Amino acid sequence: MDAPLGPERSTVASHAAAAGAVPEVPFFYERLPNGLRYVLSEDHLAPVVAVNVWYDVGSKHEERGKTGFAHLFEHIMFQGSRHVAKTEHQGLIQGAGGTNNGTTWLDRTNYFETLPSHQLELAIWLEADRMATLLDALSQENLDNQREVVKNERRLRYDNQPYGLAWEKLQAALFPEGHGYHHSPIGSMEDLGAASLDDVRAFFRTYYAPNNAVVAIVGDFEPDQVRAWLNRYFGPLLPNPVIPPLRDMSLPAIIGTEYREFVRDTVPLPRLYLGLRTPVWGEPAFDALEVAGQILAGGKASRMYHRLVREERIAQDVGVTALPLVSGVAAFALVATASPGIAIEQVEEAAWQEMLRVTAEPVSADELARAHALLETAELAALQHVEERADRLAMHATLFDDPDRINDQLRRYLAVDEAAVQTAAAATFRADNRAFVIYVPR
Amino acid sequence: MTTDLSVLDVRPSPGQPRPYHFPGFERGRLSNGAQLLTVDLPGRPLIAVRVILEGGASYEPRERGGVSVLAAHALTEGTERYSAIELVEAAERLGAELGAEAGWDSMSVSLTVPAHHLEAALSLLVEVLARPSFPEREVDRLREERLADLMQARADPRRLAEMGFVAAAYPPDSPFGRPPAGLEETVGGLDHATVTHRYGTVRDPRLATVVVAGQLEGLDLLGILDPLCADWPAPAGDVPIVHWPAVHDPVERTFVRIVDRPGSVQSELRIGHVGAPRRIPDFYPTVVMSAALGGLFRSRLQLKLREEKGYSYGASASFDFRRSPGPFVARSAVRTDATGPALLDAMAELRRIREEPLPPEELDAARDFLVGVFPLRFETPAAIAAALAGLVVQRLPDDELERYRPSVAAVTAEDARASAEAHIHPDRAVVLVVGDAERIEGDVRATGLGEVEVVREPSSGS
Repeated sequence: MDAPLGPERSTVASHAAAAGAVPEVPFFYERLPNGLRYVLSEDHLAPVVAVNVWYDVGSKHEERGKTGFAHLFEHIMFQGSRHVAKTEHQGLIQGAGGTNNGTTWLDRTNYFETLPSHQLELAIWLEADRMATLLDALSQENLDNQREVVKNERRLRYDNQPYGLAWEKLQAALFPEGHGYHHSPIGSMEDLGAASLDDVRAFFRTYYAPNNAVVAIVGDFEPDQVRAWLNRYFGPLLPNPVIPPLRDMSLPAIIGTEYREFVRDTVPLPRLYLGLRTPVWGEPAFDALEVAGQILAGGKASRMYHRLVREERIAQDVGVTALPLVSGVAAFALVATASPGIAIEQVEEAAWQEMLRVTAEPVSADELARAHALLETAELAALQHVEERADRLAMHATLFDDPDRINDQLRRYLAVDEAAVQTAAAATFRADNRAFVIYVPR
Repeated sequence: MTTDLSVLDVRPSPGQPRPYHFPGFERGRLSNGAQLLTVDLPGRPLIAVRVILEGGASYEPRERGGVSVLAAHALTEGTERYSAIELVEAAERLGAELGAEAGWDSMSVSLTVPAHHLEAALSLLVEVLARPSFPEREVDRLREERLADLMQARADPRRLAEMGFVAAAYPPDSPFGRPPAGLEETVGGLDHATVTHRYGTVRDPRLATVVVAGQLEGLDLLGILDPLCADWPAPAGDVPIVHWPAVHDPVERTFVRIVDRPGSVQSELRIGHVGAPRRIPDFYPTVVMSAALGGLFRSRLQLKLREEKGYSYGASASFDFRRSPGPFVARSAVRTDATGPALLDAMAELRRIREEPLPPEELDAARDFLVGVFPLRFETPAAIAAALAGLVVQRLPDDELERYRPSVAAVTAEDARASAEAHIHPDRAVVLVVGDAERIEGDVRATGLGEVEVVREPSSGS
């Protein structure tokens, strides 16, 4: 039996966006008796459907000595299960005219496929088969092979790339040793080398249970048919009644001191990475910091681009990003590359002045309106894709138990006013809340 | 605890496919001579506009390599009426993104904007097309940014490999031996005058096409665009004739070039040569063959180098189809001590695909993927506008996209093999390796793939 978690949503749209250009995403949010939650959202515009399965486990769950394991495990999920051979998952999905992948992040791991709508049952079956029977296909050979693949992924993205270790270093500086966000999802070569079959089995039995997962399906389907399939294929799976609680992730939203690391490397231009701790994603202050980020460096009319790149020409590029983390603390980061012949200190000083200016005086009404307009278009653009909608519905259900946040997000941005930007910036843009990783040419 | 999982024993079969057709489009003509293509996509309120101008980087004078890309980037940096910042701010107020880019074959200006701001955003778009001022200060900045970007590119093994590969695969006098945005020796000489001149040669509206895709019901696009385009008039004289660039493949025997990058923990591999243009009779067999070789997740290269050997995170191969032959390239990044074996494995796959027809399961996998994924590729107005731009630039028939799926489905194993024999040449290929020469040179020589040279600078001539 399904257990509805909330009233059926209808397409009611009454948010503050001037012209209401962003359509409301309708959905059903329900649960199987074994605890599997699912979100269904119909859209018959095109004969396509997206499936996105989120597991509530990420690199933050990894223990010391086992960094990179959640991600290595994600690779094992493509090495076969009882009824599916090694790499056959991708073969079946691509043979059905679909695309698929998996990703691992600090807070979670997800697996997704987008395919012609008449192939939906195949995707549901594939996801259920590996959630139920992955260990049947596990072998030392496959583990060793994927360990090498992941080591090569690390080389490709981190070790052989200019500035490739910057984010890893920034994470280590922002969050203390022993905290779940201290290390990167890719993990260390040493820990990857130590991962064993027993580790894989234990991880699977602990976290890959229906009551630790959310399935979101968006696109061209008939909901009752899909409910029947979900019941059929996922219904027999047993929940894990003893999923261990996440370690204590609480941290002050301020580092409390300044951290500064210089990295001498074979890079042609100096580059600055500045990380600051912030309140978690979901807090209004985080939304306000995203709007502040848009105003500071969100486009060619932003304050930092205008000053550092266009006017003073001391930077090649500048960007900010807010990392939407949900456990204890999140982060805001600035990246800027110095122009040839410019000292990185000069870039740092100008960027920091711009950050302080947001704390000292309200942003202008025009800047705020432009930021809102761009955020609205970005939402509209993202929600065009069934894959993105499925990802976001599963995300909001997994992290907040509230898929309707997909519709709230724009309202939350639009609710950020001049005072909210200034207040959030003042709380976060503090000298004692800064972690610098600065690359300088060798 | 156990549970009965027997429902999983039966793999489900597909349901009845819903019909799919590439969206139909309508043709019109603006009073300045520009072609107008419109695609009404109900339920798609984010409108995509793409203006295609005749003349990309392959048409620029050799001594001004990079001028088309620089001109495109500078196009949105100011007009006679708006400064750069005023232009960006005006677009942002509409929630619009306005940008321009140049490829090898054409230059294009793109706009995305919510439907309710389309009219206002179109006037900004036409302002950029009709009255760009290419302010000296902004052009100089963009040129310096490109020069600094080249410094960055030379530190990045992947970009270094791409640059090194085309430099080795194309003749020294060909534009295709360098990136479309140009290299130091020519970019350094670009300025307001050269950029302004270049734009003057591509702006003729009689050779331009405006594509508008999205929810267009109730919009009179000709009525909106025609008055705006009075400021973008056709020049006097005949419509120029556009010649498609010719390419000569200079490589007669396979050779290896190692670009030394001391300290590398991986080797970036590129194997390939001058490939095929878009308009070839065996285009669809080539697409299917290329997917089986290096496009699918279970392609031959990926299965061999990643899933069997564990040398790499991934391996692929592709053709870059343009008006003139773009490169065919097989790519991978492999751990340093696997450089030699990985080269041999990849080369063996390039030979095998020419020699034996694809077995039925590989042929089906490639065809079924390409046919099935086709509708997924065209979910957004921007993707549909880009596909139509491709038709326009390559001068393909109107029904080419509608014919894509049946044409792919009709490819036979022998068609695919023959296309590999025609378009993949393992015996006259460039093998380009970016890696730590001290650690790999011996292994690479031992492969016997061809003469080996070690260079420090990828741009040095062959």
